Amino acid sequence: MPAMETRERALGDRLAQFGVNRRTFLKYCATLTAVLALPARFTERVARALESVEKPSIIWLEFQDCAGDTESFLRSRNPGVGDLILDLLSVDYHETIMAAAGFQAEAAKEATIAKGGYIVVVEGSVPMGDGGVYCTIGGKTAIQILEEAAVGAAAIINVGTCSAYGGLPKAAPNPTRAVGVASVVSGVPIINLPGCPANADNITATLVHYLTFGSLPATDSKGRPLFAYGTRIHDACERRAHFDAGQFVLEWGDAGHKRGWCLYKMGCKGPSTFHNCPIIRWNEATSWPVGSGHGCVGCSEPDFWDTMTDFYVRLPKVTGFGAEATADKIGLGIAAATAVGFGAHGIAKAIQRRAGLGSEGPAPGSMEDDTDGSE
Amino acid sequence: MKTKEARVREVLQDPTVERTPGIVTIRVWELPVRVLHWTVVAAVLVLAGTGYYIGNPYILVGSEPGFVMGLIRSIHLASAWVFSVAIICRIIWSFIGNRWSRWDQLVPVHRERRVWLWKTLGYYLFLRKEPPPAAGHNPLAGVTYLVVFVMFVVQIITGLALAALANPQGVLWSTTGWVFSLFAIQTVRLVHHLIMWLTIGFVIHHVYSAVLVDIEEKSGLVSSIFTGYKRLPIDRL
Repeated sequence: MPAMETRERALGDRLAQFGVNRRTFLKYCATLTAVLALPARFTERVARALESVEKPSIIWLEFQDCAGDTESFLRSRNPGVGDLILDLLSVDYHETIMAAAGFQAEAAKEATIAKGGYIVVVEGSVPMGDGGVYCTIGGKTAIQILEEAAVGAAAIINVGTCSAYGGLPKAAPNPTRAVGVASVVSGVPIINLPGCPANADNITATLVHYLTFGSLPATDSKGRPLFAYGTRIHDACERRAHFDAGQFVLEWGDAGHKRGWCLYKMGCKGPSTFHNCPIIRWNEATSWPVGSGHGCVGCSEPDFWDTMTDFYVRLPKVTGFGAEATADKIGLGIAAATAVGFGAHGIAKAIQRRAGLGSEGPAPGSMEDDTDGSE
Repeated sequence: MKTKEARVREVLQDPTVERTPGIVTIRVWELPVRVLHWTVVAAVLVLAGTGYYIGNPYILVGSEPGFVMGLIRSIHLASAWVFSVAIICRIIWSFIGNRWSRWDQLVPVHRERRVWLWKTLGYYLFLRKEPPPAAGHNPLAGVTYLVVFVMFVVQIITGLALAALANPQGVLWSTTGWVFSLFAIQTVRLVHHLIMWLTIGFVIHHVYSAVLVDIEEKSGLVSSIFTGYKRLPIDRL
């Protein structure tokens, strides 16, 4: 009986079996509701949806990636319930974790695509250069694989900066012409969960939102869910008070660093990065980069890497002046060159006036009556 | 006690007072132009000073509680609004002000001004001895100010957009957030920072050129931005 099968797979019936009591489950649902920035009363709805939801199929595609987002996802917080939610999802195709290989694996994917209504999770950028030859799996280019999978997909979730915006492979000079997924396919709801890697809690919460409401969460103009990317790191940072006070770390390991002062002068990109890292944190919510004493590198922003390097200075370097230079060096150069240039010009003008190059007679303000006016 | 008229008459009749024929004293810069000019000067000084600190906080604060960056950012934002309003007012004034404050003094739409543009460049390159005849801005200065105005508008937009980052649900964000659809946040920051340096370069040039031309044409150019009046040969109007 299909209904019975669904019930068997549903999370609610398996909680006890896995040693998770109802209290723990509801606590987890409350956490996810909070991550999604939903009012607390939605906890019950999330719990009911998770208990009774039918097993959705997921195709997890990896292109130009490092499997870092997979690693991150497999380490979801609260393993007891988090793992169950992963179990709940039917991950029909995932190169890193699936048992099947070769033709068998591709057949599993094709069967899911034939069914339709699945979620595609993409990790890694898509190389467009030279017909897509830089990333091929089973004889197909990443472009082909993505286009085929997108046709019957209910939604595409981009995990990590690479699939969202191109990420590291897109960094200059971008030899493979890497792009994000949204530049390749359209007509399917696409959501971006950038980050290097994407945060497991944000991935889980996005999936739970989809399972609970049947739709993807609201996004900003860059396709990122507002619940996770609606606030700048700088504005939710635990070191923000030190920024406003003017207390900065000047050197790694100095007194300010030991006191947990602001990392702004160490090149922290928190002021340029939208992410909820300070709030939900990493490694089972134990810490996050700035919490552990290193500045944010802005890994989840579009055009990471190019606009976020150097990591340890505030502003990107300026190229095209022969060599790379900092904005302040160029600026001081502009100011100094102007001063020196016009200083020299002034001297030259004074010499020109004294030399009396003119032959057309005294003009208004000519040199004769002005020898004492040069001071 | 003599009346003012009597004193003026006395001065005019004094044979030792120089009265050059063909020279007129004329009010070139109207009051709003002068007020806006000095508002922008004050705002630029404050903005560059506070902005440099924001980019590179050099004031070292000890462990006692304080609000140095917070205060400097508040001053920067407040003067940014003053600056923005002054620039907008000046742009509006360029459509309603007198002939020397109008937009066509900056944008070289007239052929005659385009010709004088090159001659003015020649003056700066020592090819011509005399400064260009201009009661208001000379054509080269006008084009320079056009570039400066573009720089200022870019500076205002990038600055307000960066300020809006703190609240992506706010009104400021809905007006300036489009900037970040075109450019990365760090790129916007860099542009905002470089325009500060370009502005400092412009200020050096601006003061130098004003003094130079003042000395050469004896028109009271430097004092004209305080009083509004220039002393010019009648054929240069």
